Amino acid sequence: MSGSKPQAAPVTPKGTYSGPLVVDPVTRIEGHLRIDATVENGKIVDVRSSSQLFRGLEIILKGRDPRDAQHFTQRACGVCTYVHALASTRCVDNAVKVKIPKNATIMRNLVMGSQYLHDHLVHFYHLHALDWVNVANALKADPAATAKLSNSLNANRKETPEQFKAVQDKVGALIASGKLGIFTNAYFLGEKKNEAYYLPAEADLMAVKHYLDALHMQVKAARAMAILGAKNPHTQFTVVGGVTNYDALKPERLAEFKALTDEVVAFVQNFYIPDLLAVASFYKDWAGIGGTSNFISFGEFPTDEYDWNTRFFAPGVIFKRDLAKPQAIDSKLIEEHVKHSWYVGDKALHPYKGVTEPKYTSLEDKDRYSWMKAPRYMGEACETGPLAAVLVAFAKGHKPTVDAVTYVLNYLKVDASALFSTLGRTAARGIECLVTANQMNVWIAALSGNVKAGDTELYTPWKMPDEAEGVGYVQAPRGALSHWIKIKKGKIENFQLVVPSTWSLGPRCAAGKLGPVEEALMGTPIFDPKRPVEILRTVHSFDPCIACGVHVLDAKTGETASFKVL
Amino acid sequence: MSDSEKRILVLGVGNILFTDEGIGVRAVEEMERAYDFSGNVTLMDGGTLGTRLMDPIMNCDLLIVIDAVLGDGEPGSIYRLTGEDLRKSLAFRDSMHQTDLVDTLIMCEIVGHRPEAVIIGMEPQDFHTMALELSPVAKGRQEALIGFALEEVKKAGGAFARKVQPVA
Repeated sequence: MSGSKPQAAPVTPKGTYSGPLVVDPVTRIEGHLRIDATVENGKIVDVRSSSQLFRGLEIILKGRDPRDAQHFTQRACGVCTYVHALASTRCVDNAVKVKIPKNATIMRNLVMGSQYLHDHLVHFYHLHALDWVNVANALKADPAATAKLSNSLNANRKETPEQFKAVQDKVGALIASGKLGIFTNAYFLGEKKNEAYYLPAEADLMAVKHYLDALHMQVKAARAMAILGAKNPHTQFTVVGGVTNYDALKPERLAEFKALTDEVVAFVQNFYIPDLLAVASFYKDWAGIGGTSNFISFGEFPTDEYDWNTRFFAPGVIFKRDLAKPQAIDSKLIEEHVKHSWYVGDKALHPYKGVTEPKYTSLEDKDRYSWMKAPRYMGEACETGPLAAVLVAFAKGHKPTVDAVTYVLNYLKVDASALFSTLGRTAARGIECLVTANQMNVWIAALSGNVKAGDTELYTPWKMPDEAEGVGYVQAPRGALSHWIKIKKGKIENFQLVVPSTWSLGPRCAAGKLGPVEEALMGTPIFDPKRPVEILRTVHSFDPCIACGVHVLDAKTGETASFKVL
Repeated sequence: MSDSEKRILVLGVGNILFTDEGIGVRAVEEMERAYDFSGNVTLMDGGTLGTRLMDPIMNCDLLIVIDAVLGDGEPGSIYRLTGEDLRKSLAFRDSMHQTDLVDTLIMCEIVGHRPEAVIIGMEPQDFHTMALELSPVAKGRQEALIGFALEEVKKAGGAFARKVQPVA
């Protein structure tokens, strides 16, 4: 291929397998997720999504100082540290009714924006790309044709055949040396080519090079976050009442942050989005696979922390894919079900009344089968994440989002119904990233403007009440996150976390309605049951994070004795 | 610090919410509390992050990781692993992380600079119970664990001294 599209677009091949199919664990995600499916004649007809890790954070928090909650919640997850710190801070802000200064809001937004850029880049290139891109096939590509293809996608690209040749050599050597680490368990590996991968070799090579370039870029995104976050990797600048990173107000620190951000933003514009569109144009059949019905987004990037409607991406719910009628969120209508989870009882409860009382049955149990609870809004399972955020913003006519969505739909020559799919979910993550990237400099300018005008206020003093309750809503890169606190005698009486992954990946509810990822997987084609990349495409498109944070090095090689020193 | 000095990063990793899962982080906290280090030594609580640790890792010449390690020893056993031992280990596929340490090091290599790495680890007694305190066994062995990490610091040309008044 030389930049032109193939005559007849290939599609996911049909399989003939019937029987059970278990993916456990699903790799390249944070934590253990198990997908237990029944396949009939090459299609999924029944499926359960099961989280294998119990999180009992609520129990640890009881009786502690509310201000300390963020230091524990941000350890719950190995990746999304800041979003938990922010949700915990916002819920206490809300409970003690403190009004934070506007610079503090901007500062919180900038760090969140950096997190979006970092996480979405890493998700696309390092956690999701290998579901679409065949690294082994990239070795067969013609470097000159690859350079031509890549440069045709964006005027700011100046890539050379030599660079692509160098990548082939590097990756070839990596595979030959057995250091496959980062590519292990990829379903393109195996003796026979997996027909479910159908990018031309040149597109594969292009994506592999940018996979490596994105590794560099995410380092810069993380560094930008650390400049404002005061401490890397666990940010320590949010406090109830505002933020404490006074150092970041210095012009030279802001300039440093801006320089790094500009580089990352340019990478998003010139590489991430064109690559996403190029890969998507070859996998357009996935615009008809993996969709769900209902969506919830808490919205993000407020100008006034106390007015939900000032968020740059608006909060809202969409039912039955109806983009004409986005609905406002009434927090009283959120409940968590446990009827099919490994907890005592079967009563659905509002998070303020939430209890966490584990009761494990077994892995084989089809009735109670997950450590996740099942959140529902008005009794409906709702997908959350970038697709939900983009759909709500689009439905509400948010111009930057409408423009980006329109551009993507036109490029791929599909209509808005294509958004309700695995491809739409992956595209929406790019759209959310692009729209956020384009906004970063607006926030940076607002902050430096305030500082120049002499406003350096970052913190509002407040007093701990004897009794109070509060909620902190965050639209994290992975979706709707809320922390709910009840304070009694100045201490934490109850603390519940409703995390994005439980919205999207939780099990069935009391009414037997499927969780979003379960709904999305129904009907998914399976070509090779030994390498079911189709399941991974949809599961990974949700950017699952099971928030385990368990990290133990396993050195059981049969030679352990030689490592032991004492 | 002079140009010839090795930049040493002591990285405690793990999750403090799960008892001995936090061995590495707790060791680094204790080292920061009780010792002063020369300018070429950086101590860091790495939590459980993978790729986001690449920047500090690539900015050092020697990486000393302190972590819980599952060997075949009794709880409290202390291990010393080097990059090569790690690579040979087959068990990392089941890492619960987005990317584990070995992958992160390979990524550092690809991107440009992979430092020399040594892992000082301890066999955990309990890494499932959600609790902030180390198990009695791990607590009792913490000083020995820190001793081995300090040994590595010294070998690589880092200097340290006990604080006259440790931070409370």
